[in-house]
Amino acid sequence: MKGKPRIILFQCQYCLASSTDQDWVEHDLPKNIKLVKVPCSGRISPLFIMNAFQKGADGVMVSGCMPEKCHFINSNLGARRQLDEFRKFLIFLGLEPKRFKFLWMNIDERGVIQKEIAAFTAELKKLRPNKKFNSLKGEIIGQNYG
Amino acid sequence: MDDFSQVRKEAARILSKKKVDLVIGFKKGTIPLKAQPAFISSPDDVEQLILDGFCQNNLAVFLHDEPKDKRIGLICRACESRAVRALAIEHQLKRENLYLIGVPCSGILDWKKIHNAADGQITSAVEEGDQIILQVGGKKQTLKRNEFIVDSCRKCTRREPVGVDILIGEVQPNEIGTDDLTPTWGDKFAKKSSNVRYKLFTEETDRCIRCYACREACPMCYCTECFVDHIAPRWSESMVTPGGTQAWHIIRAFHQTGRCVECGACERACPMDIKMVYLTDKLNDDMKEIYGFEVGADEEKQPPFATITLDDKNRFTT
Repeated sequence: MKGKPRIILFQCQYCLASSTDQDWVEHDLPKNIKLVKVPCSGRISPLFIMNAFQKGADGVMVSGCMPEKCHFINSNLGARRQLDEFRKFLIFLGLEPKRFKFLWMNIDERGVIQKEIAAFTAELKKLRPNKKFNSLKGEIIGQNYG
Repeated sequence: MDDFSQVRKEAARILSKKKVDLVIGFKKGTIPLKAQPAFISSPDDVEQLILDGFCQNNLAVFLHDEPKDKRIGLICRACESRAVRALAIEHQLKRENLYLIGVPCSGILDWKKIHNAADGQITSAVEEGDQIILQVGGKKQTLKRNEFIVDSCRKCTRREPVGVDILIGEVQPNEIGTDDLTPTWGDKFAKKSSNVRYKLFTEETDRCIRCYACREACPMCYCTECFVDHIAPRWSESMVTPGGTQAWHIIRAFHQTGRCVECGACERACPMDIKMVYLTDKLNDDMKEIYGFEVGADEEKQPPFATITLDDKNRFTT
């Protein structure tokens, strides 16, 4: 695949405890990754993910807190139920399983997000550009990698 | 149904004793193959009530429009009783204001299929036992009933109306599923590879004209403003484009996760004959597998997505 895959990263603003990691996510993300910061993973509606794929994302990554570590006590539990089922549903409709990934972060881990994003990018590079669910712009998307 | 006069009697009784103000059921439609919903408020009109395989709607959908405090009698098949229970759990109606008359159901017939199987213009249609007797022009045509039952009724395993006030008639177990093993559209879909699945899905949704008949027919779609009707912010593409119709079908089905009562009213309401029951069925099967939740099985249990519990701690670790 030419160029780099487009990735949308949905990130819960409390899931990275270390400020260096948070700084990296906010300022030094590679250009092919778009960051959508949300107050909690519970805010992420399945519709956001649907829209990300429809507007040309090759992969979507959701990063949130582990259970019992949520800033809002238990909102991530609801998010985990919904989003995991939504992933299964998209796979049922033909999405490649590798294009949608979760990162349930333990709050005391450091430097995990950099590694995971690198691994996710490498995995998506092996796949061809996403042609499923992205019918808002049709075929053009595949050729426009920057 | 042979003993439907008993249901009429019961409806007349509750109306004359002022137990309810309104009875919702079905009456004969103006054209053959189509029964229409009947709203009966006087005991003299109960003779209009009928119930046969041509009654396509889920009657629970009409409860949304009525005031919550109105006392309503509802003629309930199994899927309507499940819908009432699910709506009561979500506080959309007051169960104590309803009087449910449970009736057995032997499957709903696909009128489009019958229309295609007939040799000409159908002037009348009646069910007799396991046969459908049509009058086509001046001639008589008989069809086998079992071949024309819709998919969602064919694989229905829960024919017992749940939580009704009175059950009139005997519930027969579903025998179609056992003696006829023709796979439904959803079964075939699940066996295909992922690329073929996506192709089939897009072929189905591309026909969508976004009339939202599926939404209006669904007893569980009661939002006053649907996500597709929002203007600002516009949550999803609202035009008839491939992207828009795909998003509508995916998110509509996803909102029904663990809530869909599996009546199949959406599919029967669709003017473009789009298959959509397989989407909600897959989601409901997952809910049953993961959380052991079945719609209408329990009187108090909330649907899985409305429940937050720490039991999930070790799930979804991937």
